[in-house]
Amino acid sequence: MPPPDSRRRLLAGLWGTILLGCALLLGWLLRDGLPADTRLTAMLPEDRRAPLVERADDQLGQAFAERFVLLLDAPSLAEAAADLAATLQAAGGERPLLERLDWRASDLADGGPGERLGESRYRLLTGEVRRAIDADGGRSLVAPALRALFSPAAPADPVADPFGLRDRWLAARATSPVQARDGLLTVVDDDRSQALMIGHLAASPYDLAAQASLTSALDAFRASHPEATLTRSGLVFHAAAGARQARGEITTIGLGALAGLLGALLAVFRSPRAIAQMLLPLATGLLLALPLTLLLFGRLHLLTLAFGASLIGIAIDYALHLQCRRAVQGRHFRLPSLLPALALGLASSLVAYLAQALTPMPGLRQMAVFAALGLAGAWLTVVLWLPRLRLDAPPATARLARGWWRRTGPRGGLSPRLALVGLLLVVGLIAWRLDTDDSLALLNPSPAELLAEERALQALLGRDTGRRYLLVTAADEPRLLERLEGLGTTLDRWRDQGAGFTVHNLADSVPSPARQAADLERVRRLYDEPLAELVARAGLPPRTLDRARARLEAVPLLDVEAWLASPLGRHQRRLWLGESPDGVAALILLTDLPAGDAAEALDSRLQALADARPGVTYVDRAARLGRLLGELRGQIAGWLGGALALLALSLTWRYRGRTWRVLTPPLGGVLGVLGVYALAGVPLNVFSQLGLLLVLGIGLDAGIFGAEAEGRAATWLAISLSTLTSLLAFGLLAFSATPALHYLGLSCLIGLALVWCLVRWAAPGTETSPAETADADTP
Amino acid sequence: MTRLLALLLCLLPATALAFGLEDLQRQLEATPSLEGRFVQTRHLADLDSQLESTGHFRYERDVRVVWTLETPVEERLEFSADSPPEVAAGDRRQAEAAALFLDLLQGHWQALEERFTLTLSGDASAWRVTLRPRQAALRQRIEEIRLRGGRYLERLALDAANGDRLRVRLSDQRAVEAGDATP
Repeated sequence: MPPPDSRRRLLAGLWGTILLGCALLLGWLLRDGLPADTRLTAMLPEDRRAPLVERADDQLGQAFAERFVLLLDAPSLAEAAADLAATLQAAGGERPLLERLDWRASDLADGGPGERLGESRYRLLTGEVRRAIDADGGRSLVAPALRALFSPAAPADPVADPFGLRDRWLAARATSPVQARDGLLTVVDDDRSQALMIGHLAASPYDLAAQASLTSALDAFRASHPEATLTRSGLVFHAAAGARQARGEITTIGLGALAGLLGALLAVFRSPRAIAQMLLPLATGLLLALPLTLLLFGRLHLLTLAFGASLIGIAIDYALHLQCRRAVQGRHFRLPSLLPALALGLASSLVAYLAQALTPMPGLRQMAVFAALGLAGAWLTVVLWLPRLRLDAPPATARLARGWWRRTGPRGGLSPRLALVGLLLVVGLIAWRLDTDDSLALLNPSPAELLAEERALQALLGRDTGRRYLLVTAADEPRLLERLEGLGTTLDRWRDQGAGFTVHNLADSVPSPARQAADLERVRRLYDEPLAELVARAGLPPRTLDRARARLEAVPLLDVEAWLASPLGRHQRRLWLGESPDGVAALILLTDLPAGDAAEALDSRLQALADARPGVTYVDRAARLGRLLGELRGQIAGWLGGALALLALSLTWRYRGRTWRVLTPPLGGVLGVLGVYALAGVPLNVFSQLGLLLVLGIGLDAGIFGAEAEGRAATWLAISLSTLTSLLAFGLLAFSATPALHYLGLSCLIGLALVWCLVRWAAPGTETSPAETADADTP
Repeated sequence: MTRLLALLLCLLPATALAFGLEDLQRQLEATPSLEGRFVQTRHLADLDSQLESTGHFRYERDVRVVWTLETPVEERLEFSADSPPEVAAGDRRQAEAAALFLDLLQGHWQALEERFTLTLSGDASAWRVTLRPRQAALRQRIEEIRLRGGRYLERLALDAANGDRLRVRLSDQRAVEAGDATP
């Protein structure tokens, strides 16, 4: 067996080779850019019962993501609109911002309703016509048909459509508030017409370059038309606002934190070299974690990258402890004396994070694996490389450590009884008062004015993105359409009874084959007596009758495919899901719903409706995502509790009766945060809970190192530095305006401060003075 | 060169005096309310037959036109800029057709010019305006529209793309005081 030093050298070399391999692998994996995922749902559990719901949600959100809508209000509308269109079309230069811009009346001109609709017209009746024929065979329809024939302002087609069935049916379909006016697409609001522009993005709405060129194009337009007002809708605006806010905060909070962090480290170590050595483990940790996670999962979620990288930040603890000990002990430093605590610190964090790798949440699993790999990588660098690197420890560091130890010592130690009383009090408080919040508002960092514009525009266009819908499945298309019709009838009845909402139902446009057959029969009745009367009264030649009736011989059925392919049907594509495992599926979308109590009443009514019918699911997208967030939160809490219990057991093996002292900083920190939240009435959400993960990790390290009998002053300095750097890095996020970051930061701010206070107080035998130079063997 | 310039200068007042669309509009606007009789012939190409109707009309500029059919059926049609006649409730096509009819009757050239190319010939006592659709979508329905008149609009001819022909002859026209109640 080789001597220990040469073995360590061998291991250090091996570690270097592995990292080199990782770097090569990473380069190869990133050859086409980072395969990143930004969908929130990708983080959430695979809801195996509802892949169709996922598809429906995606489809409803798609238009919102790929397009944006602008409403322009200006005194000379045509000129301003032309300018805005030109600016937008030129935006992006070489890489154009837009794939297409619809703004002229001709851009959406429907070019006729389509051949197929014309052929099927005798099977498609509006409710009004149907009722008229049912009432008296359709005699009441003769007079309006005569009027149309002799009106100078109506097209007359006595052979193909003497009763104007197609125009009536189309009129009932075309409910869009968009009008062609002066060659523009316009929407009228309070008697003012505003120009409408629909931009189809060439790139993803998250593409920073696209966001920048859109923003600068709009800014340029606003500068040259100060009199004009723009109303915006579309994911790209929200994404741009989010990115702008993040950039602003990086420059304020981020740079502030970085400056503070470097300042503190410089004050202690007085050497940039020592700081570089401290950051090296973090870099190598990321270098190990990135390619391996990509290899395991195929793609990386952006949240994984953000939170995972933060969690890897905990690894700075190991470097801090090692460097502090080296700085204080100088040449007397021996790695083996620190190794048990280092190993336990790593093991405890690994257990805490890997527990989450066992959860059914793909997002958590990825984050856990990423963080665990990163921690392990950083730890290996600390143990294998750092002791080999030269550290010019100034005597000032050692002096600082001793002075810090003396000055910050608490008066007395924490007694088990006091700890128990505190624990019971806080747990009681939490159980009594702590609320939770899983609303989606947490994920929405958009400024209020943009949200208001969004709401105003969607209300004006009558096309909100659809938060509530009925998902309907059936074995085949005819049966699906019948189900949709049945639901439509019920919903229409509710509306007649006074429930206010708008229904978007595919079956209103494509009646079931049974209804189409019944309607064709009605038209045959209409073409009997009433048509004869019309022809006679109008003085049309008798052959008109035969030729018109001949048209009813072979009328094709209108099916969903033909309807969706027609210009009018295009707008309803989002309602059709097509093939599903059990047949075919479609949505009934509900918009313009009431707010408040009425909404809740309607919710439960819709839920009951869906429960009572086969193949119907009621989905409230916002509530569903909120529920998934809640599940995510619950799962994290559950697995964390389990991991803590396991850790407590394994720590007993080393610390026996003192285990509670090791656990006091992490547990005290976490419970303390929850207690403060309970007292202040701040509800717990998934992001504040992710912050608690950080508190737990740093607290565990602090507890373990604090409980070690040896090298007290150096350890205390390292713990203080570790909590300070984490406070700067994460705690300052409490001042972020992005809700997610704010809550993460708030947890860290309170929790880390508590951890720092608890470490010295809970550490065993604080009353004895430290023996700094003792190089005692560790048990 | 000087001669050419002199010629041009001589021509200038002549062009300035020429009868333009604006003059025509002013001339038509001079009569705010009008009533008279009409004969409308619709030739249906598909059936190769004619539909003829007669009646009287009354028209208040910028407000409405009341079109009262007497033969072969008795009906009262009212077109106004806001509400189209109740041929098919709420149909946008109908509304557009009614708006077009009103624009034609009133000589709203500015509005018409967005969708048609306009050519005017003749003078104030005998003028003729020809309209051809600018956009392909409209050309699929309308081939050409011709208006003729003197002090008032007298003839309206619409040739549809499917071969149908609409002819409207207005006669016995006289100005009336606004608010005069003659049905």
